[in-house]
Amino acid sequence: MAIARYENITVNTVTTTTTDLGDQVTSLTEWFKTRARVSDVANSLRIAERYRVYGDLVNLTLNYTPNTKLIVDDQDAYSINWRDNNWRISDCRESDDRMSITFLCYRNDPTSPV
Amino acid sequence: MADNIQAPIPASNRNPFSYEKVEQISRDIVTNWLTLDEITQQLNLFQDESQDSYLESLELATRMAIEDYLGLTIFSVTYRCYYGQQQGFNSEVALDLPEVSEAGIVIDAVSYYTNDPNPVINVLPTSEYFYDPTGNRVIVTAFPNNTNAIMANPVFVEYSTNASFLAQYPVIKQAGLMLLTHIYNNRSNSTANVMHDIPWGVAQLLRPYKPLVM
Repeated sequence: MAIARYENITVNTVTTTTTDLGDQVTSLTEWFKTRARVSDVANSLRIAERYRVYGDLVNLTLNYTPNTKLIVDDQDAYSINWRDNNWRISDCRESDDRMSITFLCYRNDPTSPV
Repeated sequence: MADNIQAPIPASNRNPFSYEKVEQISRDIVTNWLTLDEITQQLNLFQDESQDSYLESLELATRMAIEDYLGLTIFSVTYRCYYGQQQGFNSEVALDLPEVSEAGIVIDAVSYYTNDPNPVINVLPTSEYFYDPTGNRVIVTAFPNNTNAIMANPVFVEYSTNASFLAQYPVIKQAGLMLLTHIYNNRSNSTANVMHDIPWGVAQLLRPYKPLVM
């Protein structure tokens, strides 16, 4: 059997505040480091009007723990750092036996002109 | 001196030693053997500490399973070993011990029930016996003449095994981590899938350290 692909990740908490001028400020604070099984890395390109939009997807599978359950319950409040990029959690899939949780994570590269 | 030591009384069972029964009376079920750091590395949890207390309970179960499988004590275990009627009043009597630990044992007490109508337990002074590590036995230098003559097993020895240095062998610790992973991943007694042992699994790693039981 091939060696499973486990890679280090950092889980962050995401908080948003609004400045006096009405600007929204998003803050990331490291919560804990752990290791996830990485699968289905997929980068894609979409042409939108005059821009190229690159969207990256990855599946990160973690053990089912009280911490990862919290992420499922409140997925917008957390983000994941992997490969030096910050990923937002798009979908959560708990395994039926409650042994693992798979997070489908999403990020955009900055748009580029076509 | 050896010539004067009483031979074990021929027993009706097949036990070649002079003891009649052994009880485990105390066991360390608190001290952790595998560290949380080693466990969280193994389980890919790292700094996710939300399951630490659960992992510690799994670690204790794992350690006890390894101890029982190997027949050696990773941490101290205390036994009480009983002996039948001895025929060696005021002479030297050898009391065999059943457990051998690589790291040795400590004799906690040698005691006997008295011959009184309501027997009481007398503890022998340490000056009246010594431990013979070469024969794995306690030698009572002057056996008391007031041991109970009616009770089945009036004499008993309490001893504790020392923690084994084998427990720190990396191969045994790795077997412990593999067993813990198995227990962590399989929390139910049954499974819908057919499971197979892998080559070089827990049993194979531990096999060279498991004493032969004759």
